[in-house]
Amino acid sequence: MEKKEYDAVVLGGGLAGLMAANNVADAGFKVAVVSKVFPTRSHSAAAEGGIAAYVDGNSDPNDDPEFMSYDEVKGGDYLVDQNAAELLSRDSGEIVHILDTWGAPFNRQPDGRIALRYFGGQTYPRTRFVADKTGMALLHTLFQHATGFDNIDFYNEYYVLDIVKDGNNVNGLVAMEMKTMDPIFLKSRALLIASGGLGMIYQHTTNSYINTGDGYGIALRSGVPLKDPEFVQFHPTGLYPSDILISEAARAEGGILKNNKGERFMAKYAPHKFDLAPRDIVSRSMTIEMREGRGFEGGYLGLDLTHLGREYILERLTLAYDAAKTFANVDATKEMIPVRPAQHYFMGGIDVDITGVNSDLNGLFAAGEAACVSVHGANRLGSNSLLETLVYGKETGKTMVDFLKKHKNVESSDGVDTIVDNAYSYIKRETGEHFGTLLNELRDVMWENVGIFRDEKKLTEAVKQINSIRKRSINMYVTDKTTNYNTEVFNALETRNMIDCSIVMATAALNRTETRGAHFRDDYPTRDDDNWMKHSIAYLNGDAVEIKYKPVIVTKWKPEPRVY
Amino acid sequence: MVEEKEITVNVKKYDKEKGEYWKSYKVQADRYTQMTEVLRKIKTEQDPTLSYRASCHMAVCGSCSMKINGEPRLACKTMAFTAINEKNEVNLESMDYYQEVRDLIPDMDTFYDRMYKVEPRLYADQTVISGENDERMTPSEQKEVWKFEECIWCGLCVSACPSVKEDEKFLGPAAHAKGYRFMADGRDTKKEERIGILMDSAWRCTSCYMCYEVCPQDVQPVIAIKKTKAYVDEFPGTTELITMARKHDSTIAESIGESGKIKESKLYLKTFGYVAAMKDMMYMMKEGKIKYAMAKDTDVKNMDEIKKIMGDKK
Repeated sequence: MEKKEYDAVVLGGGLAGLMAANNVADAGFKVAVVSKVFPTRSHSAAAEGGIAAYVDGNSDPNDDPEFMSYDEVKGGDYLVDQNAAELLSRDSGEIVHILDTWGAPFNRQPDGRIALRYFGGQTYPRTRFVADKTGMALLHTLFQHATGFDNIDFYNEYYVLDIVKDGNNVNGLVAMEMKTMDPIFLKSRALLIASGGLGMIYQHTTNSYINTGDGYGIALRSGVPLKDPEFVQFHPTGLYPSDILISEAARAEGGILKNNKGERFMAKYAPHKFDLAPRDIVSRSMTIEMREGRGFEGGYLGLDLTHLGREYILERLTLAYDAAKTFANVDATKEMIPVRPAQHYFMGGIDVDITGVNSDLNGLFAAGEAACVSVHGANRLGSNSLLETLVYGKETGKTMVDFLKKHKNVESSDGVDTIVDNAYSYIKRETGEHFGTLLNELRDVMWENVGIFRDEKKLTEAVKQINSIRKRSINMYVTDKTTNYNTEVFNALETRNMIDCSIVMATAALNRTETRGAHFRDDYPTRDDDNWMKHSIAYLNGDAVEIKYKPVIVTKWKPEPRVY
Repeated sequence: MVEEKEITVNVKKYDKEKGEYWKSYKVQADRYTQMTEVLRKIKTEQDPTLSYRASCHMAVCGSCSMKINGEPRLACKTMAFTAINEKNEVNLESMDYYQEVRDLIPDMDTFYDRMYKVEPRLYADQTVISGENDERMTPSEQKEVWKFEECIWCGLCVSACPSVKEDEKFLGPAAHAKGYRFMADGRDTKKEERIGILMDSAWRCTSCYMCYEVCPQDVQPVIAIKKTKAYVDEFPGTTELITMARKHDSTIAESIGESGKIKESKLYLKTFGYVAAMKDMMYMMKEGKIKYAMAKDTDVKNMDEIKKIMGDKK
């Protein structure tokens, strides 16, 4: 098997991975960026609305990083580690400056400064944007910047199989070149998992097809836990019926949600913030409206932009307009856009501290949606995912540089062959079940039973069904035996990762007997700070999910009722 | 509920062992079904060997480029019901130009290499990086940069471009849009070098507008190429092509200055020279097309107005 040696391997070519890679490479270390897609295809590209930032001299005169942190803590329903939120706000302005010098084409104010707008849950407007394709613009900016380094090697269209360990230290990873199906051992003492989220676990998701939780899967199999895996964000405005994201920018710019009676129903649920209340609240309110018969036939509500005027819509909400036109045949300047909630973001992730370090495996780091720094808590605010990828991508990059200076790569190559054999087992088998059967069942169970509204009965049933799918997956087999770009092999391996994530998520959701942020239990409808103001730390040991706890870090803000 | 109907999807499959062959699938679709969803259905329910690229399914990642009924398109941005013919059939093939790897997956490396050649990254001023100076950008400048930065690297324009196939020195439409995007960015410090990289290649475009037609983001690479050509006088030194380009430009100005019109035969002679013109004349005579070259052109009557407009120009 081919072997290449690096100082650090970064899994994932999205914003978090590229930001860290830029930093580590800038310090002179040799970096490999491994991604199953060409980096500009990463899901970061799909982020639309913008990036929140407090920029000194270019923010609302009454705003302050402290208010920004407070909004995050309250938005996350007090499951946020408050030191993490403070770092996110403090460094947000610097990130915007760096992006500007790397060429990000932010929208501008007439005087040439970067423009800003309101987003959900913000006390003052803080969101910087590039039309409504901010993620795409920033991803291209970072990728293009990274291609300027001689000491970053890109392994594009390489699929990760598993982490290589030497005792309790990282020793790199094994990946497979998709075009040739040849495995490669990328050896390094530091590994950053920045492989994004897991939306494809759900029947309805705004996520890319590639969001299959690969990073979580390989972490769990290496004995690394997920933090707070019961917290999944459902975005209020997935386009009906294709679940394509209609950005929160649509509501930030004045769009209004309406039921089948034409009522602005959010006035009832969030009398101050209306349609711009945090996403968990809006998604739940929408589901209640539809449950009580005030949705449109087929199961959707209306997002009304018509009063904003054609010119404004076309300039500021191009993507929303195009998406509605192309994918739902609706002219948003004349009629309401049909929308319904869909899975959007995973607040949980690989357990890391505020510096990006995981304490279960030496040399393992995580950033972006793959990580749980606990900056989003129980519900992420809009415009904070892009910010998190960059602030914590950079912060983790710094930590990695310190780590690399102190440690050396180990000599061994143990465990590499076993990893490849495990992956090949699906190809070698001649009978069994197809990945597609298992995957479609899994996506149904997760949507129906581990969705917006949860209770003990649904979750117990989910755990049972996922366990059964997981048992059957041992006999998963691949019909395609060819050796060039065999996507069926990778789909089977993705399915393995998705099943492992699902069992951990469902078990943790059953375990948390309270309602907090996006985790809404019909049978425990209130927040229980006495028993549950703590993080779930979930390990997957063979067939058993083991849950431990870590305290929430509180610096300034005591829990208070969450009213919007 | 939304009405469904059965459609037939014909896919040109390819792998190393079997080579190329067509395979048909029947799929239930409705008027909201995207072609990427059609492919996902086939893969998870009928034929797990079917291979294609897809990621964002909202036309921002550029993964799912392919030929749909012979046209270069993004599968996600193509709705099944608009793609099918009267027999409810649709044909899918790998993109032209790129080497086939597997089914609908081409090898895109040649596309990426073109993009890297234009040094696609901003080189900001040191005083801006350090924060000493605050670099601003007008809204109209941002608009111009963003117009060409909206490219999603999908490769459709290169696959559709005839010049790319004929002329290996031509960087191709996407790379030119990218290169011009940095030329237009006042924050960049490498404009001269960029003109050096782009100029000779820009004159290899035939302005056929195929890239303009197929671009799913409306980036209009051919417009970026035209805008780049306008900087021909700032190119340091010359090449065979640029010498010709300069003659072309000055003759156009001269011809309009004299007659108010671009006189094609004069433009042709001055740009390509008498030897090349003679050769082409022989060809034209043989094909019976010489009469077009001999057509009489009349001058514009109100030359004063023309001179007023041309006044500021050279």
